[in-house]
Amino acid sequence: MNQELSSGFTIAANAPIAVALAISALLFVIGLVGFLCRRNMIIMFLCTELMFQGAALAMIAFARLRMDVSGQVFVIFILTVAAAEAALALALVVLLYRKRETLSAEAWSDLGES
Amino acid sequence: MLLIWTSILFPIVAAFAVAIGPTKSAKWTAFAGTLVSLGALTLFAWNFPAWHNAEHFPNTTGPSWIPHAGITFSVGFDTVSLLLALLSAFLMPLCIVGSFSAITERTKEYYGWFLVLGSSIILAFAARDAILFYIGYEFTLVPMTLIIAIYGGTERRVAAIKMFLYTFLGSMFMLATLLYIGWEHRLAVGAWDFDIDTLTKTATRLPSSTQYWVFAAFMVGFAVKVPLFPLHTWLPLAHDQAPTAGSVILASAMLKLGTYGNYRFALPMAPAGGADLMSFVAVLAIIAIIYASLICWVQTDAKKLIAYSSVAHLGLCMLGLFALNPVGAEGAVFYMVNHGLSTGALFLCIGMFYERYHTKDTDVVGGLAKRMPVWASFMVLFTLASIGLPGLNGFIGEFLCLGGTFISEHDGQTGYPGVLGPWYAVVAGLGLIFAAMYLLILLGKLVWGPLREPHDDAAHTTSAIRLPQDLCFREIAILTPLAVACIWLGVQPKPMLDAIAPCAERMLANYPKEVERYMSQSAGTPLASINGKTNESRGE
Amino acid sequence: MVGSWRIMTQLTSIPQAIIAPELSWVGLALLLPLLAAVACALCCALRVKGKAAAIITILALAASFGIIVKAYFAYTGPVQVPIFQWLSFQWGTGQFQSFTANCGMYIDTLTLYWMLFVTGLGTLISIYASEYMEGDCGAGYSRFFFGICIFLFSMSALVLGDNLIMLYLGWEGVGLASYLLIGYDYARPAAVAAGKKAFIMNRIGDLGLALGIFMLWANYGTLQYSELFAAMNKGGQTSVDWELSVIPFLLMLGAFGKSAQIPLFTWLPDAMEGPTPVSALIHAATMVTAGVYLIARMYPFFELHPEALATVAWIGGLTALLAATIGMAQYDIKRVFAYSTISQLGYMFLGLGVGTTFGACYHTLTHAFFKALLFLTAGAIMHGFAGQLDLRRLSGLRHLPGWRIVSWTMLVGCLWLSAFPYTAAFFSKDAILLKALTSVRADFRFLGWLGLFTAALTAYYTFRVWFRVCAGPLHFEPGAEGHHEPHDTHDKHDTHGKPAPALAAKSTHAFHPHAPRWAINGVLLILALGALVVGIPGYNETFAHKDNWAQQMIAGSSAMEGAGLAEDHGAEVSEAHPTVLGMDAHTGLTVVGCTASIGGILVAWYFHLRSRKSADQLRAALLRRWWIRWVPICMENKWYVDEIYHACFRLPMWLGAQILSFGDRHFLDGVMVDGLAKLPVAVGKIFKPLYGGALQGYAATMAGGIALVVAWLSWVWLRGFN
Repeated sequence: MNQELSSGFTIAANAPIAVALAISALLFVIGLVGFLCRRNMIIMFLCTELMFQGAALAMIAFARLRMDVSGQVFVIFILTVAAAEAALALALVVLLYRKRETLSAEAWSDLGES
Repeated sequence: MLLIWTSILFPIVAAFAVAIGPTKSAKWTAFAGTLVSLGALTLFAWNFPAWHNAEHFPNTTGPSWIPHAGITFSVGFDTVSLLLALLSAFLMPLCIVGSFSAITERTKEYYGWFLVLGSSIILAFAARDAILFYIGYEFTLVPMTLIIAIYGGTERRVAAIKMFLYTFLGSMFMLATLLYIGWEHRLAVGAWDFDIDTLTKTATRLPSSTQYWVFAAFMVGFAVKVPLFPLHTWLPLAHDQAPTAGSVILASAMLKLGTYGNYRFALPMAPAGGADLMSFVAVLAIIAIIYASLICWVQTDAKKLIAYSSVAHLGLCMLGLFALNPVGAEGAVFYMVNHGLSTGALFLCIGMFYERYHTKDTDVVGGLAKRMPVWASFMVLFTLASIGLPGLNGFIGEFLCLGGTFISEHDGQTGYPGVLGPWYAVVAGLGLIFAAMYLLILLGKLVWGPLREPHDDAAHTTSAIRLPQDLCFREIAILTPLAVACIWLGVQPKPMLDAIAPCAERMLANYPKEVERYMSQSAGTPLASINGKTNESRGE
Repeated sequence: MVGSWRIMTQLTSIPQAIIAPELSWVGLALLLPLLAAVACALCCALRVKGKAAAIITILALAASFGIIVKAYFAYTGPVQVPIFQWLSFQWGTGQFQSFTANCGMYIDTLTLYWMLFVTGLGTLISIYASEYMEGDCGAGYSRFFFGICIFLFSMSALVLGDNLIMLYLGWEGVGLASYLLIGYDYARPAAVAAGKKAFIMNRIGDLGLALGIFMLWANYGTLQYSELFAAMNKGGQTSVDWELSVIPFLLMLGAFGKSAQIPLFTWLPDAMEGPTPVSALIHAATMVTAGVYLIARMYPFFELHPEALATVAWIGGLTALLAATIGMAQYDIKRVFAYSTISQLGYMFLGLGVGTTFGACYHTLTHAFFKALLFLTAGAIMHGFAGQLDLRRLSGLRHLPGWRIVSWTMLVGCLWLSAFPYTAAFFSKDAILLKALTSVRADFRFLGWLGLFTAALTAYYTFRVWFRVCAGPLHFEPGAEGHHEPHDTHDKHDTHGKPAPALAAKSTHAFHPHAPRWAINGVLLILALGALVVGIPGYNETFAHKDNWAQQMIAGSSAMEGAGLAEDHGAEVSEAHPTVLGMDAHTGLTVVGCTASIGGILVAWYFHLRSRKSADQLRAALLRRWWIRWVPICMENKWYVDEIYHACFRLPMWLGAQILSFGDRHFLDGVMVDGLAKLPVAVGKIFKPLYGGALQGYAATMAGGIALVVAWLSWVWLRGFN
């Protein structure tokens, strides 16, 4: 593993990939923890965006490492989707807020049977 | 080819038209759609060049669909599948017209789904690619479930879900087997291919122990659909709850997919397994005959009675198929078509009186010969066809199935040895007596006897369309083609028998050898285990 | 013309049929009733008020009879006439590799013999019915004649068909006609139940027939009569193979069902619920003789097992006796005649069993005439007296103007039925009993004596009817108008002559029985004449020592082996000459036959005409003594056969069916299927806490799941590295 990485490293020697991966993991974990711990739906949505960006960063790093553009293509795709999603999700949040007069996610637990 | 695709796709086009068009014209659009489908198929059958041999026509593969999985859009017919597809296409417009007065709410959805149902049934019969067949076979469930769940009786949801899950579970076994055979083909040749003929060739080369399991898995799938004895409980419920036209298509076309599956897949693909399990399936079929007949006897719900009688009749059909000789196979295929006609017609008849009285309980309604003489005449005719009166269509299939079972003996000189023999036929023949009993009891209650009608007329007023006392012209026009078909096939079965014969022989091509092999090792374990199983089943 | 008969006294084999397509015009005898049926159905659909249906039927049947007569005169030898291919296909070239059952005709003398009286009586009875049923004009009239046409078509197919599947077609077709016509008056539950019972009991026999047909195919590879007989001629029938020897037993089960023999006889008395012309045509003269026809037609195959014919004989003999004992104790005229029909059919089977197809077939012919006659007179009475058929409530009808023809033709019928000396039935019954009494087998001789005893009983109960209804002082009560007959309303312990109070209360003064008109009277006279004419073969043989026409007809067919030509004709030269009571067999039988017949009539005369009270006294005396009491009780209650069947078969099966029905819904579906469906639900319940509804819960579960998967993957991956 390490050998493979280092061999890639020699080809793209600008930044250490470990750093990029670490940052991406950090972003993802921050997003995850935020998603799990916060109750405000807007914050939760922002946390999902963070997780997205974490994943995107990892992809860019690997694309750079392997000199393969498809990772970058994916990321651009993700960005577009995320933008569309943001519009949709925020609209949804507004609608949900109108129904229950609160932004707390706990107001919406109808899916559970009990 | 074009005609086949027209008959498959035109109903779907019509379904879109129904969905987009106005509610008022929905029924006529649907009727036109099915009529075009029937017309295209009839035209195809008229020019069908392979009536007297076992060829598929057109004998070419269709456009590729998923190339690297070897799945193609290839359709074609041999005589058996053509006859069954014709039967379905023939019943479709009749069912649509039969629903004119019965379905008064959400008509657009109803007719739309009905068209999709018709199209997927024809697709299943026409498919020459196993995956395409599977899609048609399985997709019938979706519209049928919706038709039952939306337009059915009081327990419609339970019935629809049970039907869907039960048959779906069975189909999974079938799909898995198809994929397994495809995989075996890939191992042997190096590429996926799901052409039915190719799969058949591959499967017959498998070792007989593998074929045993292939056959067993196919049987599980198709036995649910047929339905065979212990796996039949979804059917009475579904029939009981379904709207009339749904029952007709369920009994006449969808159950035939099960027997057709046996004809097309289970029997020719795994002859070794078929030979091994022949007596086991036959015993189940016989149990189905006796068991369902006895249950019919004490039913007071007319529709449930016909539903159980379907179980008994298709038991006989399966018995004929598993006699593994041409007489039984001819009879079984003939019986598939005839059961579709006579039982479909019976369901229509019962639906017609249900629309007038809003009950199917024969203890409440009866003696309708006085009130509805035209209806009574049709009812008597179709009941007699169902009983198997010679001169009507039911007899030919019934007699040949029983005869095939009877002569399916080890020392038979027919060239097709078997292991069933006279005793199977004797027990199954009791079904003939029982059939007369329960159907004549139904007639005696419903048609003959003093007039009995439910007193509350409230039910009448809820109906949106006021129906005349006896059948109206529309209803007579539905039943007449069926009556003509019943009589015609009873008097002139010869063309159809001749058409089936080569296909039956092709299906049985490997069987004489395999049955011989099975009998030579009869002291081995498979027989012992089968006998053990049959004894258990009998004990129930 | 008659000279062209090929008289085959020296026959050793069944004549080979030749294929003669040019005779296809005989097929009109099949087609005409069918067309008439379609026409009647149209009349029915168009609700024709008039008698069009009757006229069409009569014309078609008369034409059909004419065709058969023409065929009779054109006959030169057995022929096979193909019409069209019906149920046939093949899968190879071998003998056992095709299944052929085409629509075709096999015409030999047996066919013609049967067809002559079937179409002849069919025509006459339709004429009778055209008047009898006129009360239903516009209602069920056309439907009735539709049934008659279907019957005639099916019966013709049964007799004319050239293979066993055609026979089966006719066999079931006559069952259908019988079902439809018994249940003609469908508003009465009794009629519907009787029709159903007839069809179902026949179906039991039909299963035997169907299995017999399969067995024949499995062994001979063909179902065509000509090929079967050719196979028989080749010999090889003395096989000990059970598959061969079971054939006659299966076929005879079918015959027993159709001809109402033990154990399947109980449907025939109930079938009297149908209109009387139906009882006369279907349930007395023609349909019920189909069993006799089947055995006569397939006679060579009944020698496949040595005891097969003995079984037929025993069943026949016992049925004759049993039915006669029941007939003695019935009060309903039609029921008496129904039991007498069963009894006479028993004689026919006895004849077939002991080896005289001639006797059996000749008795069929004579019986067809006199029994049709008797039923039609009963029908005339019923028609005129508003459905009254209780012989205790009718008396002295011969004194009533307009009823003389009925009374005297009824006397003819009764004399014939009781085998009065030198009537036609006397000859035919003698032929059967002679064969039985002179048999080498002791049990056949016993059956012969049993038959003689039954003959005496027959004479008694027949004349019990006539002496009560037609003789004695004039007295009558009308029946319940609208109902055909008040069955099962009799008080079981009511005595002879004393009317039940419920009916006695009805005024008899206002009632005027309407006498039959020309159609009924004419047909009765023709039938009486016919009954006389069918005796001619018997006279010829006994007095003129000429050839017996009936015997030649039978001997020229596949039933020849049992026709018994050699024994009956040149018996004088035989040294082991059979004797009856130490006399020459013919003379001895004449003596005992006359004694039995006249004795029975005298007893009937004493009890039912001279002192009718003594019959009641006798019955009361029997009922007082406990050791003999069961005899009248059982006889009046038909030996409880229906009840026994109900308790032994119907009830257990019904209970079983209820249990199965319950088990199917609640065990198989409720426990097994729904139980299996509960399994995934139970598994789902385990994980339910994870899905409480809070969004974070789902996210945590998902993250945890992914973490687990990743952990597992990396563990596998790392382990792979080690």
